[in-house]
Amino acid sequence: MGHGKSPYLRYPEKEPFPILNRNSHYDHLFEEMYELEEKGEILVFRITEENQPVEVFTRTGRIKLIPTNKLWHHKSCGQCGNIPGYPASLFWLMNKFGLDYLNEPHQTSCTAWNYHGSGTSNPVALAAVWLRNMHQAWKTGYYPLIHCGTSFGSYKETREQLIFNKELRDAVKPILKKLGRLTEDGRIVIPQEIVHYSEWVHAMRYRIKELYEKEGKAKGIDVSNVRVAIHNACHTYKMIADDYPYDPEVYNGQRPAASTAVMKALGAQVVDYSTWYDCCGFGFRHILTEREFTRSFAIQRKLKVIAEEVKADVLITHDTGCTTTFEKNQWIGKAHGMYHPIAVMSDVMFAALACGAHPFKVVQLYWNCSNYEPLLEKMGITNWKELRKEWEDTVKYIAELEKQGKYDELMEFFKEYDLYEPYSKTSDGFRRRRSATADMPLFKS
Amino acid sequence: MDGHPYGYNIPISEKTKEVPWEEKVRIFEEIKSDFRFKEYLFGCLNCGVCTASCPSNRFFDYSPREIVQRFLEEDVEVIYDMMHEYIWACSQCFTCWIRCPFVNNPGGLVIIMREVAVRNAFEATKDLLKPYGRVLLKVMTTGNQLSADMLQPDFFPDWGPKMQDNMENLRAKRMAIPFDVGKSVKTAWEVSLETAIEMYTIWRETGIFEMLEKLDPNLYNVIMDIVEENEERWEELMEEEEEE
Repeated sequence: MGHGKSPYLRYPEKEPFPILNRNSHYDHLFEEMYELEEKGEILVFRITEENQPVEVFTRTGRIKLIPTNKLWHHKSCGQCGNIPGYPASLFWLMNKFGLDYLNEPHQTSCTAWNYHGSGTSNPVALAAVWLRNMHQAWKTGYYPLIHCGTSFGSYKETREQLIFNKELRDAVKPILKKLGRLTEDGRIVIPQEIVHYSEWVHAMRYRIKELYEKEGKAKGIDVSNVRVAIHNACHTYKMIADDYPYDPEVYNGQRPAASTAVMKALGAQVVDYSTWYDCCGFGFRHILTEREFTRSFAIQRKLKVIAEEVKADVLITHDTGCTTTFEKNQWIGKAHGMYHPIAVMSDVMFAALACGAHPFKVVQLYWNCSNYEPLLEKMGITNWKELRKEWEDTVKYIAELEKQGKYDELMEFFKEYDLYEPYSKTSDGFRRRRSATADMPLFKS
Repeated sequence: MDGHPYGYNIPISEKTKEVPWEEKVRIFEEIKSDFRFKEYLFGCLNCGVCTASCPSNRFFDYSPREIVQRFLEEDVEVIYDMMHEYIWACSQCFTCWIRCPFVNNPGGLVIIMREVAVRNAFEATKDLLKPYGRVLLKVMTTGNQLSADMLQPDFFPDWGPKMQDNMENLRAKRMAIPFDVGKSVKTAWEVSLETAIEMYTIWRETGIFEMLEKLDPNLYNVIMDIVEENEERWEELMEEEEEE
C-alpha cells in the first residue's frame, strides 16, 4: 500500500500473525506525515540509534519503533497523584538498566481525562497542549515516553486529526507561535511514534526477565506460581486501535501484547477470563461523581468474573484509571456480599517487585487499597511487614525533622535516600536549569 | 412525539419541547459542523454490537446504537433531548468504536455533543458538572487534573479503611517517595510556573475560559483569580530577572 517513500511506514516481508486490516486508514498517516515534512510544514521528531529502538508489530502488522533509551518522561497526573509507585517503578527499572532519561517540570498533563469527563475543552486546545509538551521534549533532545494510557490514546487521535486536517493545523499554529513552541523556521514538532510506557515494558521484557533471574530470584522471589489476569486499557488499544503492539506469542496476535508478554517472559501463569475485553468502569467523570456505576461495573463485570472463573492472585493493568478503579473498588463490595479481594497493580509495578524492588519505598504499595499482601507472600516477599515498618519509620523520621525545622538535616537525608537528583538524570550529568525563574514551581514543596 | 417508534423509548422531555425548533436545528448543525463528525459517522447495520458491549448500557438508559441511528435519521428532536443527560452516561471507553463493522465512533459523537452542550451552557450540563468543579479548578489552574491532596477519605468513604491511613501525615509520605514524581502535594508533580502560564495562554486562545464562564460563573471567577495572581507573579519574576 501507499507510495512507499515514507521512512516512517514499514511492514515485515511475511505477516507475523493473521491480519484483518492491511490497508488501515491510520497507517496512511505515516505517508501523509512524511509529505507534510517534505513540504516544510512539520518537523518529525525522529527516533534515532541513540534511543536504542526495539521493533514491535502493530495490529496491522506495521513495524513500530519503541525507543528504550534517552527518554523524556511525560508523566501522568493520576499516577503521580494517586499511584506514585507506578512511575517510581518505571524510574527504578530504568536506573537498574543504566538508561538515560529526563524527568523535568516543564510539562502539563494532557488534560484529556478532563475532556473525556466533562467536555470542557476542544480539539484545538488538546492539540496545543500536546504540541507544547512535545516541543519541550524536542528542545531537550529526549524522546517522549507517555506514562498515561489516556494521554497516549488522546495524543494518537490528536496526531491523526492534525495530519489529516489542515484546518486544525492552521488553528493551532498561531497559538504555538505565541508560546514560542514552533521550530525556528515555523514548523510544528510531531513525534515519529507516540509511545506508551507499557510499550517500553513490552520492548524491554527480556531484559526485565534477566534482571528478575539475576536479582529477584537471589532475594528468594519466585513468580512461577502466581496466577495473573490481564486487563488491557481501553485508551491504549481501543482508541486508535491500529497503533498498539500485537505479537504472535500473545494469542497469535489477536489480542494486545503489552503486559501479557512481560508476564509470560517472567514465567508467571497468565490466566484468561471471559470478560477480558470489558472496560474497568472508570468512565472519567464516573469514578469521581457517578461512583455507584464505576464500582458496580468493576465488581460485577471484572472482579467477580476473575474470582469465579480463574481465581487469579493479581490483576495486572497498564493504565492509571483502571488501576485506581480496581484497587479502590473492592472493599465496598462487602456491603452487598460481593467482596472479591485480589491484588491490583500495573505491569511495571509487578515487574519491579519481581526484580527485587522495595515494595513500599519504590513500589509504594502503601497507597494501594487492594488486597496485595497475599500476593507478596506468594511471590516470596515474606518479610513485607518489616519492609513496611521500615518505610513507616522513614515517614515518621521525615515528619519529625520537618516539625523541628531541621531542613539541612532533611536535605542531607534526601541526598542518600532519593534514587536520583531531581531533573538531572541525563547522559552528561548536566543540570537542565535555564534560570531560577524558568524552573520556579507553581507551588513550593 | 413521545419517544421514537423503534429504539429511543425515552419520552421527549418538557424542556426539549419548550425549545423553539430553530434552536434545536442550530444545535444539530453545530454538532454536524465539527470537523470530526464526518470521521465518526458512516453507515449503520443496526446490528447493535456497540450497545451489546457498552458498559454504560448495562447500568444506564443509554445506547450508542441510538446515537448513530438518530444522527443518520437527522432526528433533530431526539438529538436535542439526548443533550440534556443521556450523553453523560457514556464511559468514553470506545469499545463501540473498535467493535463497529462500519468503524462508526459513537463515543466520539458523544464527545462532540458534550462539547456543544458545555459551550451552549445546557442547564442539565451545569447541574451535572457541579460536583466536578474541584477537578476543573485543579486542571485549569495547575495543568494537573489530580493531586494527592484531592483524595481526602471523607470524599471517598467507599474506598475503604486503607484510604484513611493514606492521608495521615500526607506531606511526609509524599516526601518519602524517593523520586521526584510525587513529592508535591498540591500538584501531581512540580509543574513549573512558566509552564502553567503557557497553559493559561492556551485556555485563553482556544476559548476554554469563556466556556467555563458560561458553565459556572462562580467557578470561573475563582479560577481567574488564581490565574491572574500567577501571571502577575510571573511578570514580577521576569522583571526581577531582567534587572539582575
